[in-house]
Amino acid sequence: MKKNQTKFLVGGLVIVCAVAYLMYMGIKETSVYYLTVSESQKMAEGKEFRMEGTVVPGTIKVAPDSLGAEFSITDKVKNISINYRGTMPDMFKDDIKVVVQGKLDQAGVFHAHTLLTSCPSKYEASEQGHPK
Amino acid sequence: MIEIGELSLALAMAVSVYATIASFWGGRTDNDVLIRSGQNAYFAMLGLFTLASVVLLHAFTSRDFTVEYVYNYSSRDLAMFYTISAFWAGQKGSLLLWAWMLSLFGTIAILQNRKKNRHIMPYVTGILSASLIHFSSLMIFASPVFERMSLIPPDGHGLNPMLQNPGMIFHPPTLYIGFVGFAIPFAFAMAALMRRQEGDVWIRSTRRWTIFSWFFLLMGNLLGANWAYVELGWGGYWAWDPVENASFMPWLVGTAYLHSVMIQEKKNMLKFWNVSLVAVTFCLTMFGTFITRSGLISSVHSFGASTVGTQFGFFLILVVVFSVTLIAMRRDMLQSENQLDSILSRESSFLFNNLILLGAAFAVMWGTTFPMISEAVRGVKITVGPPFFNIVMVPIGLFLLVLTGLCPLIAWRKASLDNLKRNFLLPFLAAVLGGAAMLALGMREIMAWLFFVAAVFVMATIVMEFIRGVRSRTAGGKENAVTGTYNLVARNKRRYGGYVIHAGMVAMFVGFTGNVWNRSVEASVKPGQQVKIGGYTVTYMGTEYTKPKPSKEKYAATLLLEQDGQKLGYLRPEKNIYHNLDQLTDEMPMPNSEVAIRSTLKEDLYVIFAALNEDHTATIKVLINPLVIWLWIGGFIMGVGTLIAMWPDKREKKLLDAALAQTTSA
Repeated sequence: MKKNQTKFLVGGLVIVCAVAYLMYMGIKETSVYYLTVSESQKMAEGKEFRMEGTVVPGTIKVAPDSLGAEFSITDKVKNISINYRGTMPDMFKDDIKVVVQGKLDQAGVFHAHTLLTSCPSKYEASEQGHPK
Repeated sequence: MIEIGELSLALAMAVSVYATIASFWGGRTDNDVLIRSGQNAYFAMLGLFTLASVVLLHAFTSRDFTVEYVYNYSSRDLAMFYTISAFWAGQKGSLLLWAWMLSLFGTIAILQNRKKNRHIMPYVTGILSASLIHFSSLMIFASPVFERMSLIPPDGHGLNPMLQNPGMIFHPPTLYIGFVGFAIPFAFAMAALMRRQEGDVWIRSTRRWTIFSWFFLLMGNLLGANWAYVELGWGGYWAWDPVENASFMPWLVGTAYLHSVMIQEKKNMLKFWNVSLVAVTFCLTMFGTFITRSGLISSVHSFGASTVGTQFGFFLILVVVFSVTLIAMRRDMLQSENQLDSILSRESSFLFNNLILLGAAFAVMWGTTFPMISEAVRGVKITVGPPFFNIVMVPIGLFLLVLTGLCPLIAWRKASLDNLKRNFLLPFLAAVLGGAAMLALGMREIMAWLFFVAAVFVMATIVMEFIRGVRSRTAGGKENAVTGTYNLVARNKRRYGGYVIHAGMVAMFVGFTGNVWNRSVEASVKPGQQVKIGGYTVTYMGTEYTKPKPSKEKYAATLLLEQDGQKLGYLRPEKNIYHNLDQLTDEMPMPNSEVAIRSTLKEDLYVIFAALNEDHTATIKVLINPLVIWLWIGGFIMGVGTLIAMWPDKREKKLLDAALAQTTSA
């Protein structure tokens, strides 16, 4: 009887360990820092991270082919220039909160490949330009 | 008019308090008058929530912008269709809908069971009423749905253009039906524990509620995916966003529950496990609302900050403490009456299916709350995105898919070599042959190959089961293939409904697998220029500008679609600009893309009109998303299977009656 139950305990443990291992690998391989603009100053260049901030009004320069834009974001303390390449989300405009993901270059410009927008007041989704 | 709505909510709250006390007290003291009174109070709540809903609906249809909620989610030029759906476009109306459904479902469950389940019904009513205290107090204090504007606006703020899509009309109520429905099995489980009712009566009594809610939860997710796919215009249908995860987790645990109750019904095992699963499922239906509305987790679905999240948090803690205490106090009732015999048995395969489903739910929970955990533990916010979920969930999905084939056919207690050979040799050979064929046809993506091989295996087990069943019916010569199939399914609705659901699941997995071959191209093109992708040629013809109504400007691009020199037709993706006619705010016009999709069984061609540039070029993005349509087909098949499994069944009724007779005599 006892021995019988051990078998299932082992089987169960194998599954639990497998899921735990997958989760550990998943976190290790894919997690990125999620920083404010001020916190991003400490990041080394070439390291991928996520950053949130508000678009500084008047700084948006959309690329001629509309497949990217240069703009600045701020956290009310520091500003940073963003160079984004990709489809422009519909909601993207002055003064909205955005999340960008990418890397810093030597000049301190953030090169983003992902630009997420969120509308501040309503509860609806805005997944334009979502990461794939 | 509005006062009537406010008054009915206030009354509903008072009545919910009364119904809770009367029901529990009546149940404890076996006072029939009180029990009856508690039930009547519950029915009265259905009336009151219905009245409040009618008032809100009337405020919407009569464009009464003095109501803040109506002002914020509709406008005069909004079509009636969407004006009605604006009822649940925001949080306040959603809560009212949720409460109304809970009062409706509870009323139906009470009417169905008040005689046959006389013993536990007072507790069921009490638990459901207590949940309604939570909802009605939310609507009175934290989230007053009938809140008035301080001045009377001439027009409303309008409905977010993204919600002006048929998918958004059905997605939220479907999901809420699933969320609310799980309250019924939860209430029965807890009531059975409180009343010390032994056996599986509570499971059998709520079997159809469970599968009904489970199905709606799935459909809610699937409709949300479909809405994201056709409306949000980033080319995908699922992004592992916290809000999506929040509705996916209860489904995973609910699926585990749906399977493990079969073991209890058959073997009197896993009792502790089942009450725990149903409690976890119920908690998870609340957890989603809690994390997304409390601001603890940031999501691209940004929710207005409110105290709703906090109250949901308190309610959640209350439910957890209540369930854990109750289960702990009644653990003597939850002893297993049997033991697992062999690792190669139906019981153990169900156990593994349960573990893996719970593991999946835990991984999703971990990924969703990880930013919060990392910030609390290490002081830095670390986030995981879709890649995390892909790493974890893809192998889990594969394992689950294989189990889908194994579980229903492996023998109870201990599978013999004969049983394994009889049930799995042919499907195994089919999978090997199918796998070899796919390799020969040039498939080199290992994960996709594994999924397809597993899909062939599972489908083969299902088809074999049907053929075998029909054959044994037609053997006597009295039935032909059609009547044989009908009778086979009609006499074993639960079993064959389950197979059909599994077949739908396989189709959905095929759809997911298509992701491996996703391709896309972006380009800025002048009229006459072409974009080529995957054998398709897309020629930009030009853009047409119209202004269908004062608040909407429409740019529609026309694209000629050809494949291998053959003309397939025209695609018309749009870029619309929505102007806000509300004079109280001066919001910027809002652009919104309408994508064009051409679906075939093989692949979707998905076109986004990203921008019309100043040099008269159009920026378009063309994606090829293989096999997406199988997701929606799979959902449909699962609907058919659910209907079969839920259809009233004499044998199930007999089993329930037998179980009831046993408890009343005991």
